[in-house]
Amino acid sequence: MRKTTIFLAACLTLAACGGSGDDSESKETKKKDGEAVAELPDKNPYPSTYIRYPSEDVVITGATVLTGTGTLIENGAVVLHDGKVAAVGAADEVDIPDGAETIDAAGKFVTPGIIDIHSHLGVYPAPSVSSTSDGNEATSPNTAGVWAEHSIWPQDPGFNRALAGGITSLMILPGSANLFGGRTVTIKNVPGRTVQEMKFPDAPYGLKMACGENPKRVYGKSSPSTRMGNFRGYRDGWIDAAAYKKKWDVYAEKIEDGEDADPPSRDLKLETLAMALDGEILVHMHCYRADEMAQVIDMSEEFGYKVSSFQHAVEAYKAADLLAKNGTCAAMWADWWGFKLEAYDGVRENAALVAAQPEGCAIIHSDSDVGIQRLNQETAKAMADGNAIGLNITPEEAITWITSNPAKAMGILDQTGTLEAGKMGDVVIWSGDPFSVYSQAEKVFIDGALMYDRNDPNINPRSDFELGQIGQGPNGGAGK
Amino acid sequence: MKKLISTLAFGMAALTGVATAQTYAITNGHLMMTGDAADPGEIVNGTVIIRDGVIVAAGRNVTIPDNAEVYDAGGAPVTPGLFSPISGLALEEIELADDANDRRVGGFPLSASLKAADAINPDSTVIPVSRSAGVTRAHVGLLAGGDTQFGGCGALIVLDGSMDPLIKECAAQTALLGYSGARRAGDNRAASIAMFRRALTDARNYARDPYLYNQRWTEGHLPAEDADALGDVLSGDVPIIISAFSAPDIRRTLDLADEFGFDLILYGAVEAWRVADEIAAADVPVIIDPMTNLPYLWEDMGATLANAARLEEAGVDVAFANGETHNIRLMPQMAGNAVANGMSHLGALAAITAVPARIFGVEDQLGTLAPGKAADVVVWTGDPLELSSRPRVIFIDGKPQSLDSRQSALVKRYRNLERRDLPTQYYGQ
Repeated sequence: MRKTTIFLAACLTLAACGGSGDDSESKETKKKDGEAVAELPDKNPYPSTYIRYPSEDVVITGATVLTGTGTLIENGAVVLHDGKVAAVGAADEVDIPDGAETIDAAGKFVTPGIIDIHSHLGVYPAPSVSSTSDGNEATSPNTAGVWAEHSIWPQDPGFNRALAGGITSLMILPGSANLFGGRTVTIKNVPGRTVQEMKFPDAPYGLKMACGENPKRVYGKSSPSTRMGNFRGYRDGWIDAAAYKKKWDVYAEKIEDGEDADPPSRDLKLETLAMALDGEILVHMHCYRADEMAQVIDMSEEFGYKVSSFQHAVEAYKAADLLAKNGTCAAMWADWWGFKLEAYDGVRENAALVAAQPEGCAIIHSDSDVGIQRLNQETAKAMADGNAIGLNITPEEAITWITSNPAKAMGILDQTGTLEAGKMGDVVIWSGDPFSVYSQAEKVFIDGALMYDRNDPNINPRSDFELGQIGQGPNGGAGK
Repeated sequence: MKKLISTLAFGMAALTGVATAQTYAITNGHLMMTGDAADPGEIVNGTVIIRDGVIVAAGRNVTIPDNAEVYDAGGAPVTPGLFSPISGLALEEIELADDANDRRVGGFPLSASLKAADAINPDSTVIPVSRSAGVTRAHVGLLAGGDTQFGGCGALIVLDGSMDPLIKECAAQTALLGYSGARRAGDNRAASIAMFRRALTDARNYARDPYLYNQRWTEGHLPAEDADALGDVLSGDVPIIISAFSAPDIRRTLDLADEFGFDLILYGAVEAWRVADEIAAADVPVIIDPMTNLPYLWEDMGATLANAARLEEAGVDVAFANGETHNIRLMPQMAGNAVANGMSHLGALAAITAVPARIFGVEDQLGTLAPGKAADVVVWTGDPLELSSRPRVIFIDGKPQSLDSRQSALVKRYRNLERRDLPTQYYGQ
């Protein structure tokens, strides 16, 4: 047991790795005075420097509250205190702190901040030109050593548009050209001068993998050129990763036993894969076909890791029982289909059929700088299509597809994704039912701070790129 | 629930041909688009009478013929069928499968003379998928090849599933200006306009004297076939859809329309709102994606969700398309978002019905619920622009349509994943 834990010892979460700026390496080496200690790699060399913005205590009253826990509260109240959700309940049952600012939201809706588990904002920003195309390191089938955060351009105007759509957290992934695409990063949708200022504190990293047509198409002239070639590539990668992990474990064990040992040489690619084998990095795999998902689940058992989510998962409805049994979420579009053969069997009931399974975990994702602006609308369509075949999906359930379920798959549910006391004050006030095409996010709070207000041009960020240009704000802006 | 059952029974009887009535009455409907593109109109508690494929009455106080099969809409909205202005429907079954995509043109010397009509696949599964969402007519076209500026003639089709869905063989020519045009002409806007001018001048010369044109033809000028095809644009017989995005490019394109006297339809046009008055004065319709609000290129810096509303306010005819094929069924969502950003509800509905009909010259036959028009009629479960609404009954040319598609068959098959007596492939056929 010790072998596996030693590799993990440096940090179980990024917090323990010095999310607040500590140097985990030095922490590790100080562990035992006078004894030689293992020189383990710093697992958090680009730590989050996100600091929440100042906030007032706020009470939002009178709204219909969809909590993200599967509950709907009519005439509810949500209290934000010190950047966190302090209380949620019926308006007449919630304690209201002295001096809190009250927002009368009668007739409106309140939800947790919306979370997109699949975004390429910053790595494929607008403007979309070759010099900004930083999302796919399509130079080798295994680029597990690249990190999406090193490609993100914080000035992508797409972040601001997404904010106007209620997005408070998002995971940014490398593209899907490669079998192992690289590390994902989770950010808070708060503009920053640096990526580190946007990084979600303590969020685990993800590993982006890809099934099927994309790797085949990109590497067809070499390898992989077939789906069996894809699987050989994944398995070779995992075998190397297991061996790499063992090398480090043996090294750490020797040091622990007081023996002399040199640390093995580092390999960025295998470091990421080894952490995925340990469960420290969550695996998110782009996979369209149900039969491929089943193969991937077998592979995850072969090597002892877990697939946190299948991304796109156009055929998830054909394997919804299998996904539920395996505890794997499916992150889906409401209705995209037909752009390639593996997307030919897309159906609009996909998300609803996944959700209908006992313990089914449905997520609506965007993979688009347009879709991310209205994940609420995408969810509304998917809910309606489920209800059209009699699945009886309620708004309080559907909202979990873009709040708590993505938070769960991204490993941040303990911090955000629902309106529960103690969680981050990530909250959206909608002008009406968020599942109506006519409703818009009016106010968006992130960690209790008002970061977007549709009716206040001063609370409406503008990226450097758009500054001084004809560029318009998300809701019409200048010239209106 | 009762309503749903009666709908199904209604549709089934008609489809199986059992006592198929030629006359239908849709009563108690909230009729939308009863006027024209400029003044769409709506009538609450109205009745639509369909006879022999045509709308013969739409309004209140309508007498229901004795032989009519009556469908009570129960107050639900009733609209014309949706009309998609730009897509690769029936050309592009799968975008990234070369053998299932005849929308793209690879390296090929001809351009303007190509006809989408020649590649229409009436069996495309995208047709029933789109129809079941209320789309009854579409203008479909090819994409200009990598080295050419013209996409050839787009066709108008009906989505009734018939073997010959063509209703207009050549509804519009297409051309690319803006950056996508520039990319094909030395990566320069001035060059792309020069290229376009030369093409129209070629067409003019060809029309004057085809024999001489061929005699004098040199490399770089339009092949005779293309010059001939563009003659229909110069003569005003066929309009031309030109994509241009920035306000300056749009103004240049308006100038070209003046110079050569063609019927212009603007496409893309994300900065159209900045020159809305000029577009209105030129009486040029505009096809936009009302959900575009990002500066993808420098020509899009003024992209805003307010584009549609501002164009409407200036009196410009607006239709909606994003150019995508498989989800033209999302036109109502586009329209709903236009409304959320300031456009009128009926104006947005017109943008997906009456305006496309007008743009492609079939406004006397399609696009509204006016008497005399083809009976493309959709009864919805709710506000047609709302995300939760779906068609309940669809008529095309007065015939009730199936709401089934390959997708509904897949859902039927996989609705239940329990192991049964035989593998899944034996069920839901």
